[in-house]
Amino acid sequence: MQKRAHAIWVIFFSFFVAYLLAIVPFPEWAMNYRPEWVPMVLIYWVMALPYRLGIGSAWCAGLLLDILEGSALGLNAISLVILAYVTLSLHQRMRMFTSLQQSGLIFALVGLNLMLCHWLQIVTGQTINVSLLFLMASLTSAVIWPSLFQLLRQIRRSFDVH
Amino acid sequence: MAGYGYNFRSRQRGTPAIDNTLFIKGVALEYRALTFIFLSVCIMFADSRFGYLEKIRFGLGFATAPVYWVADVPTRVSLWIDDVFVSRTDLLQENELLREQLLISRRELQLVDSLISENNRLLELREVTQSIGGKVLPAEIINMSPDPYSKRVLINKGARDGVVIGQALLDANGLMGQVHEVLSYTSWVLLVTDFHHVTPVEVNRNGERALARGSRTTASELELEFVTQTQDMRAGDLLVSSGMGQVYPKNYPVAEIISVYADAGQDFAVVKARPLAQIASTRHVMVVLEKETAPIEDSSIRDPAAAGAEADASLPLPVAQGQVIRLAPTPDDR
Repeated sequence: MQKRAHAIWVIFFSFFVAYLLAIVPFPEWAMNYRPEWVPMVLIYWVMALPYRLGIGSAWCAGLLLDILEGSALGLNAISLVILAYVTLSLHQRMRMFTSLQQSGLIFALVGLNLMLCHWLQIVTGQTINVSLLFLMASLTSAVIWPSLFQLLRQIRRSFDVH
Repeated sequence: MAGYGYNFRSRQRGTPAIDNTLFIKGVALEYRALTFIFLSVCIMFADSRFGYLEKIRFGLGFATAPVYWVADVPTRVSLWIDDVFVSRTDLLQENELLREQLLISRRELQLVDSLISENNRLLELREVTQSIGGKVLPAEIINMSPDPYSKRVLINKGARDGVVIGQALLDANGLMGQVHEVLSYTSWVLLVTDFHHVTPVEVNRNGERALARGSRTTASELELEFVTQTQDMRAGDLLVSSGMGQVYPKNYPVAEIISVYADAGQDFAVVKARPLAQIASTRHVMVVLEKETAPIEDSSIRDPAAAGAEADASLPLPVAQGQVIRLAPTPDDR
């Protein structure tokens, strides 16, 4: 926007890795505990570079995730758009948060994301799951967030992504 | 540019922290979000209700191919390591075992030839023509659905290899599922254990027909629907595909009944079955490329009409067919 983009490929690469981690097969019992990598990476980049990534990029990321997971087209797109919207409106506050506060917020945001996906899956008839065990993923995401945040910040600074 | 960072110190250092990020929100943000949500809802509706977006899905599938490829690397590396670092004695043992299996299979194949001709004679008597086997395409399972309630797997063959929607997937032991979404290099297969999937089956012992629906839970099981209390089904019975519904070829083994619970107070018995295909453990599968649609169509149209009368007459047949077909997809068929 205001400046030439620099090292944008780092963002693409981080999303690529997130997609990988999102579809790598897990053992059956661990399925519900898989952290939500794509939403977390999206939250990070929207928070760090709100002028570069916004609602449109969140939508594209969601569509790609839909294709990867073989779910109804637009399902993850909706939830990621809402996630990006909330993050964009909170990003200045989020930068000031301590890592514990951030983790709490991530817990809520990822939980919201999971719940939305679940509702949409039920509406489109994709799942018949009635247990809420899948929400455990938001807990693991919140636990992982501080280290992911540190890692992505290191990467962003060393490659000077903006 | 640390100026756009969110750590407090860099702001105090006097870098221009007040930037355009202050002004990117406002009314525009809400409208943008709503627009994209509306767009997504439209897409979802068009995709799940009408299937308008097959082309777009297919196109975007190209973008996802490398992700699947990389995600499969660890498995391939571990398989490669297994292959390379295997001791000589292990190889010899495996070789011996395979030789034995080959010998047994050869013997069974010898019997198959005579059974095929016998079967064809019997079928001719019943004025039903049916070819056995069909072309198969070897494939590998490279991923599975991240949702444990949706039982789907991804195979490494797609439109490029001639896979189309509706083709059956087998492993060495039985029927696994059907192709329900084709991308260019990969395809999604709906397993027989998925809740949305219903397989028309018949009991191999006596030809009783039933519909096998996937389990509602995460368990890898099938439930037979609408089985009356008087139908003759026992634990241990082999269920083979009946060819009705024209999706699956006839007589492939599907499952084995594990429990029959008949409560006199209920309308239907609760019959559970375990799929024969090694869904959780196998990697090597086969896609049946050629279905014998026309003959099956004949028989399935005929069957419901004369279902009662035919049940007795068809008694000896399914047994013989079941034995024959189970051996059909040998490597020679490719």
